[in-house]
Amino acid sequence: LPCSVPVRSHYVDWRMLRDVKRRKLAYEYADERLRINAIRKNAILPKELQEVADKEIAALPRDSCPSRIHNRCVLTSRPRGVRRRWRLSRIVFRHFADHAQMSGVQRAMW
Amino acid sequence: VRSAEKDTSAAPKDNTTAEESKRQESTAGAPKQKLLDLIGNMKVEVSYRKKLQLLKASEKKKQATNQLEGPDSEGHQRSTEDIQRGKPLNPDLVKAASAVASSLPLDKKQTESELLAQLRRHEETTDKQKKGETVNIRNVISEMTVKRESPAQRGARISGRISLELDEDGERIRPDRFSPKSFDSRRSLKVGKRLNIFTKASTEPEHKLKTVSSPTIWDLEFAKEIAAITAQPPRNGFEEMIQWTKEGILWEFPIDNEIGMEEDAEFHEHIFLERHLEGFPKEGPIRHFMELVICGLSKNPYLTVKQKIEHIEWFEKYFEEKKEFLQEM
Repeated sequence: LPCSVPVRSHYVDWRMLRDVKRRKLAYEYADERLRINAIRKNAILPKELQEVADKEIAALPRDSCPSRIHNRCVLTSRPRGVRRRWRLSRIVFRHFADHAQMSGVQRAMW
Repeated sequence: VRSAEKDTSAAPKDNTTAEESKRQESTAGAPKQKLLDLIGNMKVEVSYRKKLQLLKASEKKKQATNQLEGPDSEGHQRSTEDIQRGKPLNPDLVKAASAVASSLPLDKKQTESELLAQLRRHEETTDKQKKGETVNIRNVISEMTVKRESPAQRGARISGRISLELDEDGERIRPDRFSPKSFDSRRSLKVGKRLNIFTKASTEPEHKLKTVSSPTIWDLEFAKEIAAITAQPPRNGFEEMIQWTKEGILWEFPIDNEIGMEEDAEFHEHIFLERHLEGFPKEGPIRHFMELVICGLSKNPYLTVKQKIEHIEWFEKYFEEKKEFLQEM
């Protein structure tokens, strides 16, 4: 039978797993958060309404907040030194670039 | 010669045509001879098969003449052959055969009889084919197909070799042993067309649909195999580009900017969203707020019309829930 399920079911470490969960929740609650924030952040509606909206947004799950997402390295789960364009940490990037496996990447010399 | 003919055109036409024809005959006598010679030479193109047939026909005629001790006349021969075949030929064909025989510079009677015999044979073969008597091997082989047995049938065959059945005496039935039971068991009961004597005629198209809609894994694998074998690598750059376009790697030219943005909605449904504001109060801060929301949505090219309507409806629901709270204020 051809396997339709991904073979590797384990992320690199638990921190990466938690980051994945946060991303999923953030995607789910993105619309709601946007709308409640639209009510909060304007000068037209009465302040009482805005306070109620504040309480509502605080009641949402904490991991639904997009600011909790941290761009880790995709292969090693390194939290620092990650280049956004390649989603890789500097060490992995260097490794691949030296083995000529990064398209269009060359050692700088000038 | 032609210039002389043209000069005589001054005279009345009938006379000139007669004179011209006479002159053509006299002057064209040499080419006509040449034509006849050509036709006579052309007869050499007859194939060996036809020659054999002619020989056989002539032999048969000789036998017929030898058997019959009557007068040797063409009509008598023809009548005997007719009786032998038992079918009259098309009179036009007969006339044509006689004309051809007369044109050829050979023995007219013999050629005529040979041609007629050949025609008769042609008719016989066509009649036979119409009836379906002759066995054309080519047709038979073309209709035959290689039988692919499913694993179920294969398993049945293997299991059929070793039978665990027990006879009345307690001995195992060997498949080789002749017994009426084994014959029945080999022929399954559900094979073949049903007579529908005891049950109503079941809807056959349903069965057909069932067999079609459940492709087994083996069928899928077979299909994959065929696809892999028939997919030859591209011979040139054009075929490579065609392959990429089919896969979706290469865009289709001329580039259509609206690929993937398939929406039935027109631009006015995106921009004029005030019609959705009917559930809101006409005055007050909420209306002001919603008008701003609509202004923002109308400028948003990324959302679909459905998403925009959902956005507005969410706000409607939210403010409905907060109505009591707002009226307290």
